[in-house]
Amino acid sequence: MTIPLSGSREARPFPLRRLAAWAAARDLAAFIVPGPDVARTCGIDLDAAGVRVAQTPRHAGVLVLVGELPRGLKKAAAVAYAQMPRPRAILAVGAGDVSPLPEPDVWVTASQRELAAGVEELRRLFAEGAFATEAAGFDIEEIRMETEYVCPMHPEVTSDEPGSCPKCGMDLIPRESAGGAGHEGHDDAGHGDTDHDASDPGVLVSHEGHGSNDEMDYQDMGHEGGGEDSGGHEHAERGEHEGHDEMDHGGHEDMGFMSMVEMTQGTPRSSDGLQMEWTGAPFGPLFPGLPGGLSLTFTLDGDTVANVTAPRGALGWDLDGLETAPARDFPDLLALLDPLSPTAYRLLALQALEDAANTVADERTTLERVGALERERAASHLGWFSGFGRLLGYSWLEARAGQIQLALLRAADAEEVARQETEVGKLVRRVYRTPMLARRLKGLGTLPDTAETSGPVARAAGLAKDARSGGIYRTLDFEPVVREGNDAVARLWTRLAEVEQSLKLVRKAGAVCFPQGMLTSPLRSTGSATVETPRGAATLRVKLQGDVVSATELTTPSSLHHQFIGAVAEEREVADALLGVASLDLSPWGVAR
Amino acid sequence: MSVVLVLAALLAGTYVVAVLEGWASTGRLRPAGPLVSGLALLGRESLVPRKPDRIFFEVAPPLLLVAAVLAAAVLPLAPGLIVTDLATGALFVNASFAYVMVAVLMAGWGPDGAYAMVGGFRFLGQLVAYSMLVVMPITAVAMRAESLLTTEVVTSQVSLWNALYQPLGFALFFLAAMAIAFLPPFDLPIAPGELAEGVLAEYTGWRLGVMRFGRALLVLTLALAVTVFYLGGWFGPVLPPWAWTALKTLAVAAVMLSVGRYVPRLREADVLAWGWKYGIPLALVNIFYVGVVLLVAM
Amino acid sequence: MSLLQQYALLLGMVAATVGLVLSLGAVARAVGRRREEKVKDVPATAGELSPEPVWVRYHVRYYGYALLFLAFDMEMAFMYPWAVVYKELGLTALLDMGVFLMVLFLGLLYGWSQGALRRQ
Repeated sequence: MTIPLSGSREARPFPLRRLAAWAAARDLAAFIVPGPDVARTCGIDLDAAGVRVAQTPRHAGVLVLVGELPRGLKKAAAVAYAQMPRPRAILAVGAGDVSPLPEPDVWVTASQRELAAGVEELRRLFAEGAFATEAAGFDIEEIRMETEYVCPMHPEVTSDEPGSCPKCGMDLIPRESAGGAGHEGHDDAGHGDTDHDASDPGVLVSHEGHGSNDEMDYQDMGHEGGGEDSGGHEHAERGEHEGHDEMDHGGHEDMGFMSMVEMTQGTPRSSDGLQMEWTGAPFGPLFPGLPGGLSLTFTLDGDTVANVTAPRGALGWDLDGLETAPARDFPDLLALLDPLSPTAYRLLALQALEDAANTVADERTTLERVGALERERAASHLGWFSGFGRLLGYSWLEARAGQIQLALLRAADAEEVARQETEVGKLVRRVYRTPMLARRLKGLGTLPDTAETSGPVARAAGLAKDARSGGIYRTLDFEPVVREGNDAVARLWTRLAEVEQSLKLVRKAGAVCFPQGMLTSPLRSTGSATVETPRGAATLRVKLQGDVVSATELTTPSSLHHQFIGAVAEEREVADALLGVASLDLSPWGVAR
Repeated sequence: MSVVLVLAALLAGTYVVAVLEGWASTGRLRPAGPLVSGLALLGRESLVPRKPDRIFFEVAPPLLLVAAVLAAAVLPLAPGLIVTDLATGALFVNASFAYVMVAVLMAGWGPDGAYAMVGGFRFLGQLVAYSMLVVMPITAVAMRAESLLTTEVVTSQVSLWNALYQPLGFALFFLAAMAIAFLPPFDLPIAPGELAEGVLAEYTGWRLGVMRFGRALLVLTLALAVTVFYLGGWFGPVLPPWAWTALKTLAVAAVMLSVGRYVPRLREADVLAWGWKYGIPLALVNIFYVGVVLLVAM
Repeated sequence: MSLLQQYALLLGMVAATVGLVLSLGAVARAVGRRREEKVKDVPATAGELSPEPVWVRYHVRYYGYALLFLAFDMEMAFMYPWAVVYKELGLTALLDMGVFLMVLFLGLLYGWSQGALRRQ
């Protein structure tokens, strides 16, 4: 009996189809949610398991879910799954409940051996079930789209039924928008709660532009032979476009003759003085080059970014459980906050609790903690190199940095970590010598001088801000790595130097495994601590009532840097904007609060 | 008869190029890779995006294939082994490569998707950058051969390969060839990582298979063009002529495919600036240089 | 082969290629038709649905280069026949075309100085 996949094709398995199914089983491509960065941090290597990693769900056959997914990401994963061509399957790696997605075909825990076994199982399922006599459909609330009726001249006038616009009397045209439950601010209409000042006229232009463009169709604007410039190419196709027919009639009668100058008056101009039409394009949360889970929408003017919308809290990460946790569970809970740097947040929690208990860990424990933190820092930076290399199109860096990161994370003790030092040294030197890399990144991602930053972003701007000064770090001869430039290339050099420095610190500390903390009963009711996470300084203040945590106040570096996405991306070519955003090394989980 | 042989050779060459492409991107040599991938793609659904420009969407993959096939049809694999030895062969090669741009732009416009649009128009910018760097070196090659017949171009290199006779033209044409096939670091329309596969993003199933096949054939054809124009075509000791063509072509293809891994992608603005500010003056210098050398040699 | 025969052969190759693509499509169709589902046909944009059309007047930034490209393309059309008869004509050919190229090159330099050769 054939076991159908969750996304098999409905057809009787004739020989040619069996052959295709066997081929599909041998040629697996995976789309990872939330992203390959999280997958590597969890220690799994899909490439070694024989599965290609796809950039877009359209080219993938397997949806790989890594780790506990927050609500917003489950919705994005559902959309990605719906956009995958059949036959398709779901592989859950260490993931909890994944509803509303269908039941995963294979469940594994986050270890390479289990993953390899899971992939074999997946191959068997594909070979047998890619074509099945009955195939389940996929229709959930999250992927429904709404049809709303909108006035072409006044996009803010919307209605759920056809009718006419109260302002100008034109017929409302149907327009589909991404609706469904739990939908947060789509770019055209709303802006969610963004810290960024989105200029509304800019977004509206995309609609007015449509109208004005059709006006130009019908009137001779005084350009020589109006048919040539824009009339020729796209309008033949535009005719089939939904709603444009109605728009043509409506607008045409009312408008009369309008010159180009009049029609484009008041609309925002691009930097070269031309006013063209803008479109909105999402570049998140599951975009291959950016951190997985970062919700980002660009309003594009050609290939230039005119507007940025980056809503906070789009992931829907629920941390209410922190507020009433018993103190001994608190470090583990905080470590779950950020899957990209769990050790740093665990250390943060422990130090805050120790501060509340007015104790200080002994030197041995502190050294071990330093080793673990620095190992994580090196691994995090290497993961960032890999993602950055992917964005740059620098495949060697993407592959090599990913390999070294996995080797570091799998190292059992300081010896194995020390063995990676030569590899890292080679990588660093090779990156320094890469032709055209510095030129490519120069001037990208610059922040204003008054910007408050932390971590490598601050240190790349010449500020020697590092929460690791003092205490045990002084005995280890630690000096913060500082570079000048405040742009993407400076941040790259800073992180390269920090990786080497971290590995040296690990060697001096002599341990990499995080020691279990021993907590005595807290004497005070408040405690605070600051830890230099790989992305910057994170500060935690806890209020305790006896043995239970009653309130927490956490500032993460990513929530600090998130507000600069607009400054980094606006008025830049889209590739430069993406590189600038990536150079900030945001952790979308740290932003959710 | 020779037509069938040439087509069979092209098919075999495309398969090898596809294997080389897989090796360049993953580091593993999988001889059965393209066959398995092709079968898998045949078994997948081929989706059509909502409200696409149907004509553009459907025509783009075959057009890419046709452009490569037409260019390969006028390039000789061995003396007498050519589909059509057009009197304007060198010009025809250039003309058919221009259709690659049309195909990519169609693939960019057709699906009505944001990433594809950006990818398609970036490739148009790339074309404006590389186009002159294809034409001017071919002109210099035709000067030496005194003819546009591709077989004449090869026979004119019997004493010295054009790669050594006009090294500047060779370098420019090689880079321009990589740009035509949108190989990294010139992969602006595809841009995995930056545009989530750009123009290829909306192609799935057998259409994606045709696009990939077309691109592999395009890489082969460009490598063959480099071989014919600059590396002496079928000339070489010991081995039969077709073997030399095959060796040289595959070597060029391997270099083209592997260079991009070690360099970041070039920005569209940079490709345009370098192509026009440095590339075209150098190409003009190349023409002058060849002109002077030809005069002196007479 | 006469010229007409050659072009007929090339046209035949085009037809054969298109036929190959169509037959591949037919085979894929025989394997199975696509299943129309919700959201599956919305262009894939990183996990967020964006069904709005993007067919707009695209703002390219390289129109300065494109205008110069037209001029140079016209020039190249003249260079092809010139290249074929170059060796026959000798020095006069070099000088004639040299003047032509020099004029165009000066045009390129002028455009460069006026800021045409940059991202607008």
